Amino acid sequence: MLKSKEKLLIFSLLSPSLLIILFIVAFPLGFSLYVSFTSYSLLTPGSMVFTGLDNYISLIHDSVFWGSLKNTVIFLTIAINVEFFLGLGISLLLSRELKGGRVLRTISMIPMMFAPVLVGFQFKWFFNDQVGMVNNLLYTLHLVKKPVLWLINGDLAMFSILVAEIWRGTSFMIIILTAGLMSLPKDPFEAAEVDGASGFQKFRYITFPLLSPFIFIAMAIRSLDIATAFDIVRIMTGGGPAHRTELIWTYVYRLGIVDTKFGLGCAMSYVTVVISIAFAYYLFKQLLKVRG
Amino acid sequence: MSKFKKVWLSVLIATFLFSLTAVAAWTKKPFEGVTIRAALIGGGNYEKLYEEFIPKWEKLTGAKVVIVAKMSHFELDKKFKLDFAAGAADYDIMTNHTSFAPQYDKFGVLLDLKPYFSKKDLSDFLPSVLKICYIGGRLIQIPRHIDISNIYYRADLFNDPAKKKAFKEKYGYDLAPPETWDQAYDIAEFLNNPPALYGTQFTGKEEAFSGRFYEMLLSNGGRLFDSHWKPVFNSPIGVKTLNYFKKLYQSGLVPPGVVNYVWDDVAKNFAQGKIAFHLDWGGWYPWYDDPKSSKVAKTFGYSLMPKGDAGVRVHWSGAHSFSVLKSSKHKAAAVSLIKFITSEAAGKFEAELGFGAVRKSVWDYVLKTTRDKRKLNFYKTYKYALENDEIVTPPLIPEWPSISNILYPQLQAAILGEKPVKKALDDAARKVEELMAKDGYYR
Repeated sequence: MLKSKEKLLIFSLLSPSLLIILFIVAFPLGFSLYVSFTSYSLLTPGSMVFTGLDNYISLIHDSVFWGSLKNTVIFLTIAINVEFFLGLGISLLLSRELKGGRVLRTISMIPMMFAPVLVGFQFKWFFNDQVGMVNNLLYTLHLVKKPVLWLINGDLAMFSILVAEIWRGTSFMIIILTAGLMSLPKDPFEAAEVDGASGFQKFRYITFPLLSPFIFIAMAIRSLDIATAFDIVRIMTGGGPAHRTELIWTYVYRLGIVDTKFGLGCAMSYVTVVISIAFAYYLFKQLLKVRG
Repeated sequence: MSKFKKVWLSVLIATFLFSLTAVAAWTKKPFEGVTIRAALIGGGNYEKLYEEFIPKWEKLTGAKVVIVAKMSHFELDKKFKLDFAAGAADYDIMTNHTSFAPQYDKFGVLLDLKPYFSKKDLSDFLPSVLKICYIGGRLIQIPRHIDISNIYYRADLFNDPAKKKAFKEKYGYDLAPPETWDQAYDIAEFLNNPPALYGTQFTGKEEAFSGRFYEMLLSNGGRLFDSHWKPVFNSPIGVKTLNYFKKLYQSGLVPPGVVNYVWDDVAKNFAQGKIAFHLDWGGWYPWYDDPKSSKVAKTFGYSLMPKGDAGVRVHWSGAHSFSVLKSSKHKAAAVSLIKFITSEAAGKFEAELGFGAVRKSVWDYVLKTTRDKRKLNFYKTYKYALENDEIVTPPLIPEWPSISNILYPQLQAAILGEKPVKKALDDAARKVEELMAKDGYYR
């Protein structure tokens, strides 16, 4: 048991760090929460007037907001799941004792090294209807006669953005899952081998449960980190055409920075934060369940 | 030493020391030790001015220039607004633009440059350009160059005798760069041969689309707002204008991807030879004419943009400029730098790169010295438009970016067929009216 003097000493030693954290994290969070209840416009500094739930109510009546929320949920669900399955498949291959395995593992990390802006430009060019690589390939192979509208058609535009995001995000899954696979104990596998378990049975009953903590951590981090897809969307479609690929992050940017409605932008950011926390909470709950 | 000699020697030494001090003072550069921090537009040909002229100014004045930000205006805009709101703008001069300036001015951070520029200093600037550099009677920016759009066209197609003959037979008039929007439609329809060649194209996204709609609306006799700032672009003229874009799109006379195109996209298409003619900024001329970047180099033509129903050519326009911040601790040096990089010499340098000059003397110079016939035609056409056509900026109010953000998704929805044209414009007008009401325009 710590004596009160020791407690005081610990607290006084920690207090500078606590104050810094409070100032860097808690103050901006609290302040932006307050701003979300005001009519603050970047262009009018005197406009930080408390307006209660006005911003949140105007979001409820905003059809573009609901559209962007729907798009974000679809985007997040597809991207995280595809990244997971791809990442898992590639990790299972890379975690084996392969010749050149280290080189392959290093290569698999390359997409993560690209800034999202660059990925956006790269895939915008790939999917350009006139001079893009994908359409040119389809023409050359005589698979299409008319340009495919990758970045125009609502579903195709979402698909194109997803391809870019999945290309970038799968690397992260690969790294975490490969590390997880390589750290699994060997004994259960040897025992299963002796008992005559098939490859699928070993994966289903040993690999997957043991790997679950890594899976949930990777998915939780990716689901929070996926907001960086903002740059990809902004470059590839700008959220359009006609809001077809608008995600909640591009809409926050449009409202808060371009339209300078900072109060409204903060309100929408908080809606995003609540959704992200709910998602992360769900994942961590699943993680705790798995760990018993 | 006699007393006289002593006095004489003292006077001599004193005179020598005084002369030395005077010479030292005379040779001391005016801004020795001063550092000017600058946030400037970067990329492409924009940076050549800084590379050429800033070292010269540093040598002349003894000051040092530190460029703290060099990025596209899109990125700069974000930076400026956040910096100004947070009071964190730690630079002395900044790139500005007549379309963006009203927003920045609302923060009250831009220095009125009128006291620093004499009438003579300003007399060489084109009056139409200088006019849009003022806000509320204050000169908050000095123009660098002005951009207007005209027609770039594939001269090989327009001068093809077989095509000329066939066109005349079909439409009853000669195939030539279009004089009106109706002619532009005919020519686009005639030359259209997708996917190898499209009749024309337009920028169908963001402000690039709002601006194209705006200039055609005006040339057809329409307006964005009435005198009380009520949106009136949903008028029958507005409907007709948007229908024109929709018809081009739905008839396949433009690449189907236009709704996702901004400047670099249309430029790439034209440079690839995939477009018969289109409207684009003068600043692209050197890039189009460089065989390294363009398949149509040395063969394309340049002509005035078409007239609308009102019988006028209207050019949506904007001037790149420089401003000094009120917070600058070295205002005299900052103004001196701006004067230097917007001087006649700087203007000549940039005009040769293809930028639209804002000084009369620079126009005289380029028209007198240019030998290349095609380039001379480019300059003559550009100058003719500046002097004779209507050069308009978007409304110089801080709300313009928000208005454009409301407008262009509705324009897109209409041309994609998601909404009827009238409904799209009505929806946009309603939202713009709400915005203007919120910002106190109807009090």
